[in-house]
Amino acid sequence: MSSPAATAAKPASRKPGALRGQDLGRYTLLIVLLLIVVVTAIGNPRFLSVNNLLNILFQVSALGIVASGQTILLIAGGLDLSVGAALSVAGLATALTIMHTGSVALGILAGVVAGTVIGAINGMLVATNRATPFIITLGTMTFLQGVAILMSGGSPINGTGALFDVFGLGDFLRVPWPVYAMFLAILVMFLILRFTTLGRYAFAIGGNEEAARLSGIPVRRIKIALYALSGLFVGVAGVILTGVLDSGLPSMGTGYELRAIAAVVIGGTPLIGGRGTVLGTLGGVLLLGLVSNSMNLLGVGANFQSAVLGLIITAAVLLQKKA
Amino acid sequence: MTSDTPLAIQVQGVTKSFLGQRALDDVDFEVARGEVHGLVGKNGAGKSTFMKILSGAQPPDSGQIIVGGTAFKALNPAEGRAAGIAIVYQNPELHLDLSVAANIFLGAEPRKAFGILDDKAMATRATELLARLGLDLPVNQRLGDLDIADRQQVAIAKAVREKAHVLLLDEPTAALNKAQAEFLFRLIRDLAKQGMAVVYVSHHLDEVLAISDRITVLRNGRKVALVEGGSADKDGLISMIVGRTLDAVETHRSLRPKTEPFLVMDGVSSTGGLDNVSLEVGRGEIVGLTGLIGGGANALAAVIGGIDHRHVAGRMSLGGEPYAPRAVREAIARGVLFIPEDMRGRGLVMSLSIAKNISLAALRRLSRLGWLKLAQETGVATDMSERLDLNPRAPSREVRFLSGGNQRKALLGRAIFADGRLFVLEEPTQGVDVESQRQIHDHLRSLANKGATIVFVSTDLEELIALADRILVLRNGRIEQALSPDRLDPERLLSAIQTQSTRSVN
Repeated sequence: MSSPAATAAKPASRKPGALRGQDLGRYTLLIVLLLIVVVTAIGNPRFLSVNNLLNILFQVSALGIVASGQTILLIAGGLDLSVGAALSVAGLATALTIMHTGSVALGILAGVVAGTVIGAINGMLVATNRATPFIITLGTMTFLQGVAILMSGGSPINGTGALFDVFGLGDFLRVPWPVYAMFLAILVMFLILRFTTLGRYAFAIGGNEEAARLSGIPVRRIKIALYALSGLFVGVAGVILTGVLDSGLPSMGTGYELRAIAAVVIGGTPLIGGRGTVLGTLGGVLLLGLVSNSMNLLGVGANFQSAVLGLIITAAVLLQKKA
Repeated sequence: MTSDTPLAIQVQGVTKSFLGQRALDDVDFEVARGEVHGLVGKNGAGKSTFMKILSGAQPPDSGQIIVGGTAFKALNPAEGRAAGIAIVYQNPELHLDLSVAANIFLGAEPRKAFGILDDKAMATRATELLARLGLDLPVNQRLGDLDIADRQQVAIAKAVREKAHVLLLDEPTAALNKAQAEFLFRLIRDLAKQGMAVVYVSHHLDEVLAISDRITVLRNGRKVALVEGGSADKDGLISMIVGRTLDAVETHRSLRPKTEPFLVMDGVSSTGGLDNVSLEVGRGEIVGLTGLIGGGANALAAVIGGIDHRHVAGRMSLGGEPYAPRAVREAIARGVLFIPEDMRGRGLVMSLSIAKNISLAALRRLSRLGWLKLAQETGVATDMSERLDLNPRAPSREVRFLSGGNQRKALLGRAIFADGRLFVLEEPTQGVDVESQRQIHDHLRSLANKGATIVFVSTDLEELIALADRILVLRNGRIEQALSPDRLDPERLLSAIQTQSTRSVN
């Protein structure tokens, strides 16, 4: 799957001028996406139905929100592996609050605050320690997985009332609400990255942290703010996923961290930071969603799916390295 | 040729250019077995390029290197090592977490049956080797626990173990004290007696004169002299290094009136290496700082720029107000802008555009409530590019595509846009072409004429004389001499830098 994409993308890499690396990443992604669409559509005509396409968007909506937040961290040269576990904690905070108070509003607040606070704590640990974000957030990830199990007592917290009505069942113009939430998250991140000082500082820190410091940028404070911002997105995703499932589960966020990072990297943001776009991340999220969906429709077994997904992620990263 | 002893290494007609600029021009060079050969020249004379070519780190454009009876068009590092060439840097590239013995035998560890490492044999053989070299080092100690002098000895022992017969030493005494340096000289002489050819590169001319059998002088990429160590003296060497460049030095000093002091330092010492420095710099004055490596010029710039804020003592004031920045951004808030020598590592964000690099230190002026005024930013970058003649005039072009001179202009533009009142620069024109150098000097002068204060560190003699109103020579963290550039020629400046005594000529 990757080799035709590679050869097709080659000419782009020869193009002189400013945006070589990003162009290659972007074209690769588009070509792979098209290829999957064509192959699947031939294999199963149902694939291109509006219902199925909406279904794909619905399924990736929480991932899209988490990946949007992760994008600015990678641009700033950071990384948060704990977002999956944090999503579980935020979702459980929502479900438990609704169960005990009966208030959906308080439940939403609890989830969003939980996600933001966890992000801020990660940010403080990363900003004030020399250990890499990878190791630090690997630690908090393990800790938060434990917290999620303790919060839930090991079993689902069921019943979210109006939250389920909106995010689990509700739609507007046939488009489910979580899909709007995802596009809103992407729009917000797009605006932050392009039009705010915070976004600019993220690029500067990821591109050259020492130069950022010598330019008077408060690097530590900005890092904490960025992790808190990503945490906010995780909290929102936790609330929405809880509504979709009508329950909070200690395992609901498992695997989100790797898929979110994969989506960001597939979308052209390098792990070393300094550049990247959230629209690329959207492409990465759609790619992951399309691949899962097409394999389902083509009757590929679940065990095989994971291997194929892994191959695609690896190929995307390798292609990016070359650029 | 000193005698008819066989040559250990011979270089013929080596030429190397970077971006159209000749770094080395048809250089011949040879070292006999058992000879210590000094290599001297100003910064930019081509010494480091030459060492890189000798060690195989870079290929020459033309010419050849004959070593061990084989002629090479270019060496790669592995061929260089195989041919018996070893290079020891001032900060040796060793493995700090391995023992002394393991470092010496890295890649050639003694083994027992089944490939198991024989630590005991390794320690014994390391001890023998070190004893033969007259070195007393704990073979089982972790290398990271030893000081720089010891590490250097380990690196030399490793070269001997690898049967190197050409040893390149690059500024080996820069980080050593007097006793350590003396010890190193004895070691070098012993090695030479045993047939080792030693190439000794240093700015310390006294050392070079004391230890070298012959000395090659490079200037502007050419070999200008080959002298016998015994017959040369320091003044002669200095004039060969500097050359007749008096007419090349243009001074454009305008007669700015003496003004009230802007920066005042009173007894400032720092853990970064400053020792009780007192200094007054006037508004509109351009002060050049210089000295040998580690002398304190860079440490002084770092303290003024707010980069090094670990003062241990002393007071500073700026425009009459106390000045004690605890972070770079506090210095910037006071109008003090530091422009580092290392553009790629510390200055520019290579993945960002010209405009975004220029605005970086003063985004607050281009934003409202955190929202950027992008159109205004582009305008600022366009104006600044115009003012500094920064090419191309394409604010959205990423800075990594610019030439060195234009990258330096972008950094200067950032400092100007951040409303700098005191500019602190390290090597402001290193690695830029002549035209860009002239332009950057002009911009700094015009900033000073408009009332800005400029402090710059430089090892470029012509630059110091052409640009500075006052030149301060630092040694051992202290200001040793203050020189006026009027009627100062590079030769006298270089001998002031080279002076070993510690008297003040204020």
